[in-house]
Amino acid sequence: MKLVVKNLKKNFEKKEVLKDINFKFEKGKIYGLLGRNGAGKTTFFNCLNEDIEIDAGEFFIEDNGKQRKMESEDIGYVLSTPNVPEFLTAREFLKFFIDINKKRIKNEKTIDEYFDFMKIEKEDRDKLLKDYSHGMKNKMQMLVNIIANPNVLLLDEPLTSFDVVVAEEMKQMLREIKKDHIIIFSTHIMELALDLCDEIVILNKGILEEIDKNNLNNEQFKNKIIEALKEE
Amino acid sequence: MIETFITSFKLQNTYRTNSIIYSLKQLPLIKRILPNSLYKNKGLKIFAGIISILWEIINIFIGKVIYVATMIFMALSWYKTNQADTFIHLFVFLTLAGGILNTYMLNPTKDKYYAIILMNINAREYGLSNYYYQLIKLVVGFLPFTILFGMIAGVPLWIQISIPFFVLAIKLIVMNYMIYKFKNTNKATSENLPTKIVWSFVGVCLLLTYVLPFLGITINSTIFLCVLITAVILGMYSLIKIHHFKEYRKMYKQILTESNVYMQEKASGTQAIKDNSLKQIELDTKYTSNKTGFAYFHDLFVKRHRKILTEAVKKQSVVILVIIIAMIIGISVNDTFKSKTNEILLVYLPYFVFIMYLINRSSSVTQAMFMNCDHSMLTYRIYRTPKVILGIFKERLKTLITINLLPAFLIGGGLALLLYLSGGTDNPINYAILFVSIIAMSIFFSVHYLVMYYLLQPYNISTEMKSSTYKGVQGLTYIVSWYMIQIKMPIFGFGIATIVFCIAYSLISLFLAYKYAPKTFKLRI
Repeated sequence: MKLVVKNLKKNFEKKEVLKDINFKFEKGKIYGLLGRNGAGKTTFFNCLNEDIEIDAGEFFIEDNGKQRKMESEDIGYVLSTPNVPEFLTAREFLKFFIDINKKRIKNEKTIDEYFDFMKIEKEDRDKLLKDYSHGMKNKMQMLVNIIANPNVLLLDEPLTSFDVVVAEEMKQMLREIKKDHIIIFSTHIMELALDLCDEIVILNKGILEEIDKNNLNNEQFKNKIIEALKEE
Repeated sequence: MIETFITSFKLQNTYRTNSIIYSLKQLPLIKRILPNSLYKNKGLKIFAGIISILWEIINIFIGKVIYVATMIFMALSWYKTNQADTFIHLFVFLTLAGGILNTYMLNPTKDKYYAIILMNINAREYGLSNYYYQLIKLVVGFLPFTILFGMIAGVPLWIQISIPFFVLAIKLIVMNYMIYKFKNTNKATSENLPTKIVWSFVGVCLLLTYVLPFLGITINSTIFLCVLITAVILGMYSLIKIHHFKEYRKMYKQILTESNVYMQEKASGTQAIKDNSLKQIELDTKYTSNKTGFAYFHDLFVKRHRKILTEAVKKQSVVILVIIIAMIIGISVNDTFKSKTNEILLVYLPYFVFIMYLINRSSSVTQAMFMNCDHSMLTYRIYRTPKVILGIFKERLKTLITINLLPAFLIGGGLALLLYLSGGTDNPINYAILFVSIIAMSIFFSVHYLVMYYLLQPYNISTEMKSSTYKGVQGLTYIVSWYMIQIKMPIFGFGIATIVFCIAYSLISLFLAYKYAPKTFKLRI
């Protein structure tokens, strides 16, 4: 399965934020999306998530050679600022999510198994989400997006609010689930991108391009990425 | 200090200008034509700048004239006491109340927040220079009207002229007291959050202002002279103290917190409303639900928001019940009251559109739905699938209609009962129409607010209200409901028309919601 983006354009008034995006994202890989501040990474995600209208172009799912529209169920979007319904407890939130995704969940587990998977402590499971810390809310957001089991997972700077231990656990978790998903991961942290992602894609001047690692070692690859990002 | 003042004045003017341009850009249709580069358009900047300065000048006088005319001058006609003395009396006591409620200095405005907290301008220079400016505006603004209205009331000229300076002196004394308190306790509070003691003081002042003249007691020019001299001496002493106080920065750090500052803009949402909405969640996790899916989710929302949903409605119902019982007692003991009530009930049904508008909870409930629920849930794409959106919409519709129905039943039933007890009507069908049309109005407002919320979803992810269309619809709802007050129509005609309209409106809008909400119900970017 692939997510195909063709000639995607998005302008804000006269400013061309996304000029002409052409790319095929494949299942089983984590794509590291790098770009300078204001390059349009979030705009790109917002377009794919249909939060904003695109000005031209298209994107769709290609499955076994067949093209189809990307539906709401196909996409999960984890924002950098976590948003969870604060009037529910973590357990209630999960129950609701499992209820509405019943048909899509393969091998449904119990709620506590999901908590265990995300390493959320027993004493936190029945607390109102309103009293969760930033990092804990982020974990919950990630967890429900994984449970919903979307084909495409967009992650916008998701690991920055985690402490080092949790960040390691999350990376491990993403590696475990990547075989069933197309994961696009935006970040400013080069080390994280190199460590976790299978492909590095940079968004510069409204164009998306893949940076080939070829036979470069990490240091050389890093320099190549920085050069590409600096290009005017 | 003058330099700081000029900088702050320019700063204030700049964002006032930008706000004018921003509001222009919020208007439907016009916003499509106007580009962002508008903010650097010189001609427009000058135009908006002139409006902003004109506003500043008008602002000096407008509040003062309204204040003197309504709170003092118009009140004179209630009393039989000497008009000039009463004028002085009202002014002196109102000034005491106003002095403690509004010091200028301790008001957490956005101007101060931007300048002192965000831009790090010297707090003492900023605070003092703006304070003096406010005080000058106060005297200049009051003077023409204390002279004008004072003259009409027959107040001696020296008092007409000295009243604004009396107000000035009181402001200074209160401010000096606040600084004295801060020095001793190290605690400063925003004047927009008055304590119970302050409210009690203001209450006593108001009682003394308006009740004493009824008893024939007022102060006179001689007493005023003594009060004035004392106030001026203390005021001058206070001015020196205020001017030499050093720790404005420390004081402002406590007052200019984000929640204090943004409490001011109630209309535009932002953090304060968000904070306030969060407070409405009841911590108690003992309320659970046996349902599943949307029903489960919604059921928990209702149970955790009992304060603004069911409990608010219960309180309303008690008030309505008390009014109805009072009316029944009135009818049974007084014949004039009885016939008057009957007369009013037969033609004042349109008035109840406004009452039903006022008591309907849906507007604040949809706001809480957004702040505490949809704001976060709409970021999940699965929540935006048609099935989920419409499933939750249905649950919400049921709840909104049901909770608003309780007071509607009481009002509808109560009105029909009052009509019967007060002498009845020629046409018995009027009882039914009265009852059903009140119920129809209640359902109409519930459907209206919910459908508008789903079709226009006006908020963005920072919980700011971004849709001018939504604000327009809200305004229009108010104007139409208010307009109904003026209409007098027989129950039969108006009632039937209302029922037909409410049914048709509800059906059409529900159809639109089902058709379009899956597309329109999302976060604004």
